[in-house]
Amino acid sequence: MTNTRILGYSDPLNPKAGADVDFMISVEGSNEVDAKFVRLIHGDQNPDGPGFIEEEIEVDLPSVLAVKRQYTKIGSFAQCADPDGKLDGLQSFTLFAHVYPTQRKNERQTIMGRWTIDRNKGYGLGIDPEGHVSLWVGDGKNVDHIATEIPLIPHAWYFVAASFDAITKKASVHVINCVNSWNSRISTVVPFEGDSWVEEELRTVPSATGGDADFNMAAATAWNQQLGKYAAFLFNGKLDRSGVYERALGRDEIKALASGDAPSEKGLLAYWNPTVGISRKGIGDVIIDTGPHGMDMLGTNRPVRLMTGYNWLGADSFHMAPETYGGVHFHEDALTDSKWEVSHTLALPKNLKSGVYALRLRAEGVEDHIPIIVRPETPRAKIGFLLPTFTYLAYANEHLSYEAPIAQAIVAHTPVITAEDIEFKKLEEFGLSTYDHHTDGAGCCYSSWRRPIVSLRPKYRMPAMNFPWALPADLSLLWWLEHAGYDYDVLTDHDLHAEGVDALKPYKVILNGTHPEYYSEEMMDGTEEYLSQGGRVMYLGGNGYYWVTGMRADEPHCIEVRKLDAGSRAWQAEPGEGHLACTGERSGLWRSRGRAPQKIVGLGFTAEGMDASEHFERMPDSFHKRCSWIMNGIGDEEKIGDFGLAAGGAAGVELDRYDLALGTPPNAQLLASSWGHSDNYPLVSEEVTYAFPGRGGTQDAQVRGDMIYFTTPSDGAVFAAGSIAWSQALPCNGGENNVGTITRNILDAFIKDGTLPGSQYTGDEKLWR
Amino acid sequence: MAQDTKYYQVGQRPHEIFFHPAGDSPMRRRRLPFTRRHLLKWRSRANPKSLRQERALSDKRPFWWTLSLGALLVTTPFLSNSMITIVAIFCMFAAINVLWTLVIGTAGIFSLATLAIVGIGGYAAAGLNVWLGLPWPLMFAAGGLAGLIVGAFLALPSTRLDGLYYALLTMGFAEICRVFVIQLKVLGPTNGSISSVGSFIPQDWFLQRPGLLLGFGGAFILLLMSLLVFRVVHSERLGMSLQTAREEVGGEAFAETIGIDYRRARLYVFMITSGCLGIIGGFYSMFYMSISPSIFSLDQLLLLFAMIVIGGLGRSEGAVIGTAIVVLIDKGMLELGPLRILLIAAIMLGVTLWTHNGIAGIREQFRSYRNRKQSEARARRTEKGGEVMPEEAIEFTDKQEVYYRRFHKRLRDHLKTLITEELIEEHRRAPLGKHSDALNRVLNFFRRGEMADKYAIMRQPEGFHKYKVVAFSGERGAPPRLVDNKIYENINDAYHAVFLLRVNDLLES
Repeated sequence: MTNTRILGYSDPLNPKAGADVDFMISVEGSNEVDAKFVRLIHGDQNPDGPGFIEEEIEVDLPSVLAVKRQYTKIGSFAQCADPDGKLDGLQSFTLFAHVYPTQRKNERQTIMGRWTIDRNKGYGLGIDPEGHVSLWVGDGKNVDHIATEIPLIPHAWYFVAASFDAITKKASVHVINCVNSWNSRISTVVPFEGDSWVEEELRTVPSATGGDADFNMAAATAWNQQLGKYAAFLFNGKLDRSGVYERALGRDEIKALASGDAPSEKGLLAYWNPTVGISRKGIGDVIIDTGPHGMDMLGTNRPVRLMTGYNWLGADSFHMAPETYGGVHFHEDALTDSKWEVSHTLALPKNLKSGVYALRLRAEGVEDHIPIIVRPETPRAKIGFLLPTFTYLAYANEHLSYEAPIAQAIVAHTPVITAEDIEFKKLEEFGLSTYDHHTDGAGCCYSSWRRPIVSLRPKYRMPAMNFPWALPADLSLLWWLEHAGYDYDVLTDHDLHAEGVDALKPYKVILNGTHPEYYSEEMMDGTEEYLSQGGRVMYLGGNGYYWVTGMRADEPHCIEVRKLDAGSRAWQAEPGEGHLACTGERSGLWRSRGRAPQKIVGLGFTAEGMDASEHFERMPDSFHKRCSWIMNGIGDEEKIGDFGLAAGGAAGVELDRYDLALGTPPNAQLLASSWGHSDNYPLVSEEVTYAFPGRGGTQDAQVRGDMIYFTTPSDGAVFAAGSIAWSQALPCNGGENNVGTITRNILDAFIKDGTLPGSQYTGDEKLWR
Repeated sequence: MAQDTKYYQVGQRPHEIFFHPAGDSPMRRRRLPFTRRHLLKWRSRANPKSLRQERALSDKRPFWWTLSLGALLVTTPFLSNSMITIVAIFCMFAAINVLWTLVIGTAGIFSLATLAIVGIGGYAAAGLNVWLGLPWPLMFAAGGLAGLIVGAFLALPSTRLDGLYYALLTMGFAEICRVFVIQLKVLGPTNGSISSVGSFIPQDWFLQRPGLLLGFGGAFILLLMSLLVFRVVHSERLGMSLQTAREEVGGEAFAETIGIDYRRARLYVFMITSGCLGIIGGFYSMFYMSISPSIFSLDQLLLLFAMIVIGGLGRSEGAVIGTAIVVLIDKGMLELGPLRILLIAAIMLGVTLWTHNGIAGIREQFRSYRNRKQSEARARRTEKGGEVMPEEAIEFTDKQEVYYRRFHKRLRDHLKTLITEELIEEHRRAPLGKHSDALNRVLNFFRRGEMADKYAIMRQPEGFHKYKVVAFSGERGAPPRLVDNKIYENINDAYHAVFLLRVNDLLES
């Protein structure tokens, strides 16, 4: 396609005005790029709307930035710092681990070892391309190895150990099958012979690697000119307890370790026990060494913790039996931090208007926008537009159109891709979204902003349905706020998560984005408190407050979610693995944890479809004086939003429903509902208990989007239009349309102090029209 | 489509011998001394039906070599005197041919100077023995040295001249040797021969049974040694580096690109072989206690060539089998007279006509023939995307796939009946949104297809409403391919174009 490639990311994504923000940039094909700071006002280039609009902003930024090509190293592994070199130059030794392989690879996979690939030095225990367990040693000149003869079965727990005696040069590899009724994909009814024990005299004694290699779990050390030292021969699968002895163990000792006995002290160099350090709040990236030297391992690219271990016996979660949660899942394609060098640090002016900005880079006819979302230094406006940055991360770099065979059936579209998508996908080094699967089929539970994210570009359209999604879609609401002349601040999920209700309090009204799907407990609490203290929320989205999402307090760049049980889930966590490692809480749907979105904003997810969006029609409640002001300027029979940039309507894509049984406040009034959805809008799976035909839009009354209004304590209120497509209808007809009229009616009322219009009408009699 | 309702029984009892190693006792694997190689190559697998570990010899050639050479060693002492001689000659020629195979097969040098080098080695050793009194054990060294020197000379043009020309050159070289020896003044009285050569066979045992047996023993050891040389050269570093260069298409260029100096490797192989052939020459003159110019003759060379062709080029077992056949006919059926040469020629003709690579290659040839027949038989009974047949089902790890094939076959057959002009028109009018039941079913089937080759639309950089049809690769990182170059100016036209492509695929399936 093109020889020049510009990629980059910002850290943080959500700086305050007056703060510094780092831009990490990689450019191929040019040593410099033209840089301009721009305010993004509208993204969608659809000619039916206002088109792409940006405003150049003068800030202290050189017009040309010197740049270079930067590289990303994908794959998760753990590394032992080993400053004293206790694991280097081992002569006689034993390496052992409980292993749960998940995927064969056409190269070696390292379980553990200190091995330099380009120098052929050190030692390593791993799995070869045939699936055999193998120990290899090298002295820089010769490499020798020993391997078992039958392949490990994927998704089954084994104990593997390899020992080497430098005097006799005898090497042994032991594989002991640890499958029980609970821990593996297969059970004990399978008559497979998992055990193996081979012995052989090698001709090479491993030599010390020095700085050429590190002692790694799930990786060996590679080196090349461009990348320097990096992890390779990555492992796919789980590892549990593991360790190193400085002597060759006998069979009895091996068997004792396999059965989970505490390791004997004699000659023990290290014993990594991933269950140590698990607290009720989860666990971090350190794998503790309980051996004599305390050589802890540090995970890179977030090996997935709190996974079931070899000794798991069906405990619901790690809270019940933490000692059975030693599983650490490694993936060759995991990425939570590109670790690029900072190319430019931009000092944002203190008086910079709050909004969505981007560093626009241009070179050789190629352009990229690296977005940032700038919050004011102190809140100024009455309106706070809460941009769902958790959602942005959850969908970051999604591969659905490219990899999920069911994606076209879900969206009922043929995907529309662009050359930029292909360029990005060809590189395949910027990680996955929480909608994608790792190469071994496991779902991806982490997503981070410390990497270039193509789906965060203002002009980006989600290929699956050919309309903007997440940030580019939210820009439609932002454009309309500009158009309608409202003064607003923007803030992000990350701010709400970090500050709770304090982030929302300064505002008279908070606007949700089109798809506020990923919520942490802090965000739920903050929103609920805000509403109960008189705050007002305009929930202008679909499928919000849905997934229980977590984040480490000190690492805002990375969110975690586990998809399980019910809901429209791109993957399904394995049994027992539904809790977030970063917080210790159970993930899945908020509704499964007693906090259905209906309890806060009155609506919750009910159907999705992307073929065509429809319109809303007024419901009888909208004529009640308590809320009829919302419909000022709207005819009784008027179709509300039979237009839009998201599939041609204001009601569509993902729809939310009023349901008292799920916690919609009993005082909620049903203002309008959508009509006419096709069967490509099926009822969502969490609503399906018994499966029977006819749950599509033409046959099931629960397939609809609702528009509701209710008041909360102290003059608070919620207006909710349960449809992703709502905000993308706003820019139609130059921003003057009935969706805009309703939005304006609400905004005008909500930004005023004091009582809400219509609040005096609390009686039932004689009040109809 | 006619359904073939006859089911064939699939499955067999394997005739291979399997061992079932216990997982809780050590499997100790031995290596050849001073190498990292194992004595035997084993192959293990978990039997997909029983899940038991099965361990079998993966390379059974050591077994067959031991069996056949052992049988030769054990039975020869019980044979008649003339047969012992034939066996000894067989061993000697087999040794020569095994080495020759290295030159032609491994090094890829088409040399016909093999016998000439043997002859020069023989003459050098015999001459030194007769005129300078070199004791017989040193004759091996003398022959080897002479072979090495001649080999080094002959090797030089081998990288310069291509196959046929080099063959002619080496043939000419043999002829020159013959003429040279005949014209040597000293050998004039004996017509070019040297006789009364010292030998490892005591003078008075010569042509006696113990002498014959000793001769056989020597030739047998010679064969073993040349097999060892073959093994070491062919399968170790030298042979490995030459393997790449042997590829027919671009092999040499590729080898060079990845840094293999295949010319040097070829020279080494040629020189090592020449040295060994010289040693055999020394042995030859001792075995017969004489040597004559006939060793340089063309008929002898062609006989040797027949052995290699019949056995199959490039493999030691081919060289040995070919030698056995030809020697048996040529020396063992003397009563047939000149007919036996015709017989050899006939066999050679047959082998070249009907086999790909001599007799040693028959096994592979038969296997590929059987596979071909098998797939032909399958092809006759099946259709593209049709149901899985019992003999195919053994190749499916996930048996659910077998059901999917059946289901999709029948689903497609049904959906084909739904495709009408009206249905296509309905889609053209509105590719998205509510559709008739029939169109919904057809579309849903299309949308659920696998990712590989699944159609998509690509927006062109020239404009927002400029689209082309592409198809996904189904592989992470591999970009989609362009289906055709037509540009659609309306997204609905592009959707409909994809629909028509899919309808076409469905009707063709």
